[in-house]
Formats: sequence, structure tokens, C-alpha cells
Amino acid sequence: MSATVAADHILQTRGVSHQLGAYVVGTAFARGGATCAFALGDGTLHVAPRAGGGWRRVAVHDGAALALAADAGPAGYLSGGDDGRFRLVGEDAADIATFGMKWVEHVASFTDSKSRLLACAVGRQVHLFNGDGKQLKTLDHPSSVTGLLFDAKGKRIVASHYNGASLWFVAARTDSPRRLEWKGSHTGIAISPDGDSVVTAMQENALHGWRLNDGQHLRMTGYPGKTRALSFTRNGKWLATSGADAIVLWPFFGGGPTNKSPTELAGGDGVICTLVAAHPQQDVVAAGFADGLVVLADIAAARILPVCGPGRGPVSALAWSADGGQLAFGTETGFAALVNFSKQD
Amino acid sequence: MTDTPGPKVPVTVLTGYLGAGKTTLLNRILSEQHGRKYAVVINEFGELGVDNDLVVDTDEEVFEMNNGCICCTVRGDLIRIVGGLMKRRDRFDGIIIETTGLANPAPVAQTFFVDDTVRDRTRLDAIITVVDARHLPQRLEDSHEAADQIAFADVIVLNKIDLVTPDELEAVAAAVRLRNPFAKIHHATRGNVPIAELLDQGAFDLDRVLAGHPDFLGADSHEHNEDVRSLSFEVETPIDPERFNAWIGALLAERGGDLLRTKGILSYAGEDRRFAFQAVHMIADGDFIGPWKPGEPRSSRIVFIGRNLNRPQLRRGFESCQAA
Repeated sequence: MSATVAADHILQTRGVSHQLGAYVVGTAFARGGATCAFALGDGTLHVAPRAGGGWRRVAVHDGAALALAADAGPAGYLSGGDDGRFRLVGEDAADIATFGMKWVEHVASFTDSKSRLLACAVGRQVHLFNGDGKQLKTLDHPSSVTGLLFDAKGKRIVASHYNGASLWFVAARTDSPRRLEWKGSHTGIAISPDGDSVVTAMQENALHGWRLNDGQHLRMTGYPGKTRALSFTRNGKWLATSGADAIVLWPFFGGGPTNKSPTELAGGDGVICTLVAAHPQQDVVAAGFADGLVVLADIAAARILPVCGPGRGPVSALAWSADGGQLAFGTETGFAALVNFSKQD
Repeated sequence: MTDTPGPKVPVTVLTGYLGAGKTTLLNRILSEQHGRKYAVVINEFGELGVDNDLVVDTDEEVFEMNNGCICCTVRGDLIRIVGGLMKRRDRFDGIIIETTGLANPAPVAQTFFVDDTVRDRTRLDAIITVVDARHLPQRLEDSHEAADQIAFADVIVLNKIDLVTPDELEAVAAAVRLRNPFAKIHHATRGNVPIAELLDQGAFDLDRVLAGHPDFLGADSHEHNEDVRSLSFEVETPIDPERFNAWIGALLAERGGDLLRTKGILSYAGEDRRFAFQAVHMIADGDFIGPWKPGEPRSSRIVFIGRNLNRPQLRRGFESCQAA
């Protein structure tokens, strides 16, 4: 039995996959949990029922999809494209807002029992909407927004850009953000589950962070490449990152991450990790690599479980379902898969 | 080891001072029936007279790299746009980037050296600068940028020649040559240059670094001249790589702000292949290219384009790199 077959064992026994024919830009699970979706560089969205059955293709953008997130509602998806459209995709696709020539590069949503919020980033502006798609406000930034997130409670929205990040209170009457400053180009953002640490990826193959309660700066360096994915584990203990030839995990405990060495997992073969996604419940991280390899890494045990062997293109999309039972991933060459990790009879 | 699908996308940068005729040239390129599709990155939407479904409107966003190099500025918006365009790679054959009239071309060029993703997916094909033959003398008087744009060019379109006399044209061509001896110059009215002379030039490929064989007559040495000049040197004795690296590294670190572009073809001692070298300000790139041709004189040549060029000092420096 060859190594490739062994590496594909989980994909073959627990996965459903398709060659979709275009760059997989992103993947996400609907909040209700019934489906997952893959957004593609040809502007289509492919919706896969988690229970099995055929995947449904929806034409969404005239151009490439650039960003995908679950809608705040239970079934749909939010999609941003280089056709300037911020769209809600359910059975069909419908505009939430349009921005002409500008690209809609980031989308995000939040939902809890009290509120539903949608957001998209277009150039220097972040547009905030209620769950029905009614625009609430526009937030201006000093330069183009490169990353956009709600915090875990939906109270704040954070955006990365040149020379730092901006932290906005969603419900504030006056829109003056807390500016987190650090010189340089910040290209992506994460916020810890407790909402106290904001971390950005930087052009210079490093991460920068701010501890919000005491304003302390956090510095995490040593990457051979740019970090595209930042993902905190559920309990906030670890920040999993891509950009090295291993999964790099920074400890956010015991005085870390500054002056602490990160833990490295699944390294050693010289292939760059392109994406990471922390499991929503356990100290487990999924990671995708530039050769197409997808693995799960158990942090405490330092054990690696291959999910999908190399050879299907650089991994360009990776996401867990909220219950942690399923993992979706896709590659630059159009391969897309949905793998079921829940107990099987 | 990155499993990058497909060949690198050629990128052409189009610069030129306000009113030089950049947009006219761009419209010509796009409307000509060449059977190719281009993604076009522009700043001033509305002027483009051609329907193109791949026009990207951007705000030029320059930032300084935190790498201790003050002149290392990069266009962050281009990094994002190239990343976005790669998601629909099959929809176009090349990328054309139009800069604003007042733009310094250095950040655009440096972006293609500095960012890994951009380097992996694209190659800078050539910088084309459109020059208004009639107004160039005045532009050179009143702005830094006009000279920078000429200095950075691989191809110069000397436009609007119908508006000048033959004497004026000769003078303006000489003014261009003085600042950039290795660019290809095309005379034009309303940007009428054959597309084949503009696109797919490979000007930034190391193996074509000095393909244009700039004339080595050399300009007058104006020390401490604030204007852009070029200087070139040639030595017959083979170069010691270690000495050259030490000298050029220190020179670029110290004077990189003034050195807009540096290009060289070197004959290393004991090496049958030519070594090609180029730099944009402080960012350098070099590699061995094909072997010397039989019978070809193995001399080492280097060209500097920049401000405040000190001829004796640069000459002594280059000569000190010769193998003992």
C-alpha cells in the first residue's frame, strides 16, 4: 500500500469530494449546520448537504468570489466578489449591497439571541448591516481593510490595515475607533475568544499583537513566509498559524506569547503550511499545505492524522463545522472535499 | 516547494507624467486585435474608453517595509489585487498596471521583488514610460517624478512628436538618453507604437538585463547633480564574486536612495557562465545566466542610473572588484 493511499484513507472512507474546476476561494458551514459551501474563482458557490446527496451550484458573481462567510441566519451564506457585489446566497443569490468597480474583499457575520449583524469590507470602508441587510453604518479606515472580524460577543468589530488595526464598538453612537498602532502593512487579523488579544499578520513574515487591557504589544516572528491564517483554539490557549513549514502554535498562557517559543507540529518536509483552522471544541488544529496535504494535529499529544494526501493543489480553503464534526477544504486547482469525523456506525 | 499552477503572469507597468498620453496608449493596447486578454489596474476610472471586464480600480497605497531600508516602499494594494486576480487566473493572459501621473515607479517595481506571493505568481515584464516630447524639458525642470519615470523605464514612448520640431525632438531624445541609456525609445504620435514593442519585453528577466546594449559613451560626470544621470563602467579582468558582493552590498545600503536602478553583467573568475545582476534602489537580484558565447569578449559591465553619482568613486569601487 503506497503512502499516498494511506494519506488518503480518511478522505476515501469518510469524505465526499468533487473537482469543481476553479480556484476554491473559501469554504464555510451555514449556521444551522445543514450545509457547507465552497466559493470559487469563477464566481460560483457550491452547496454541499452535510447529510449527503448532490452538491448544488449557484451563480453568484460576475467575476471571482473573494470572500465567503455563513449568513447570520440559519441557512444562507454571505459572499463578496470582484464584481463589487455583497450578496446573500440562499436558494438563489441576491444583492445586499453593490459597490460598482470596487472589490468586496472581506465579509463577516454575527448572530446571537439578541442581534444579527452582517459586515463587508470594500476598500477603506467597512459597511455594517443588520440581519435583514439594512445598512446601519459605514466605518472609515486610513487605508484598505485587509481583515475583518466580529468578536465572540458581537459587541466589537476589528479591521486590519496599514499601520495597525481599528477596533469599533458596533453599537456606539459616535464612531471613533480604538486604533491599535504598529507601523507597517497588516494583512490579516484574529481576536482571542476572551476578546482581550488582537493579533495581525504582517507583510514582513511576522505577527503583531496588542493586549487590550494593558496595551502591551506582542511580537511573534520567525516565519519564512507570510502568515495567511490565524486561528485561536476554543479556549484561547493557543494561536495556530500558517506561513511556516509546520503548524506554528503560539502559547497565550504562562506569560506568552512574547519571549516564548512556539510549538511546531506536522513539520519537517519543507512544504509551507498555507491554512490552519482550530477545532471549535478541542485542542485540535486542521492544517492545509502548499502541496495539497491536509492533516489534523492534536496539540497536547503532538499527534498528526493525515486527512488528504498531497497532489491536488495548494490548500486554499479550510473550515470546521460549528459542532466540530465535519471539516471542509478546497484547493487552488479546484478540488473540494467534505470529511465527516463524527462517529459512524 | 510550492505547487504553483501554471506559468507566471507577465505584468506591464505603464507610467508617465500627467498629460503625456498614458491613457491613449492604454486604450490603443486594449482595443487592438491581438487575441489576448489583459487585466487592467487603473487609478482614474472613467478615462478608459474600452470595455474590459477585467478593469480594477485601485487607490495607490504605498507603505514602507520594516526591514531597515527606508527607501524600500511597496504598493500594498497591488499585492492584494494580484492575489485576487490569481483566483481567476484563466481569464486573462497578462496584467497591465497604470500608475498615476505623479507616481514614483519605485514602489511598483519593488513590489515584484519583495512580496513572495507576487514573485511566485507573476513576473514584472517591463516598465513603459510615456513622455510628452513637447513638455518634457519643463517637466524635468519642475518635478522629480518625471526624471524618475524615465530612469525606471525599460521602454520609453516619446509621444506627441508631431508637436515638436526635428531639432526639439533630437534635444528631448538626448535628454532621455542622458537619464537612461538602456531603455528602448519609440517615437510616437497618439501612442501609435506596435503592441509587440510594448508587451512581452522580458526586460526584468535577468538573462536580458543588458540586452539592449546601452552605448557606453557615457554621459558627462556631474558630481552632486540632483538630476538623474546614468554612468556605466566596463572592466576586462574577471570579477571576484566576494569582493563584488561586499562592494555592491555596502554601496546599495549606503547610497540605495540615490541609485534608482543598477544593472550588470559580470564575468566571474573561473566561471563560464555570465552573472546577471540588477537592483531597484536597495533591493537586488542576481543569478547566473547562460554561458559566454565562444569568442565573445568576457568583460564585466555595470550601469547605474540615479542622482549624485560620483564617477571616480564608482569606477574605483567597481575596479577594486577585479580578481587579483
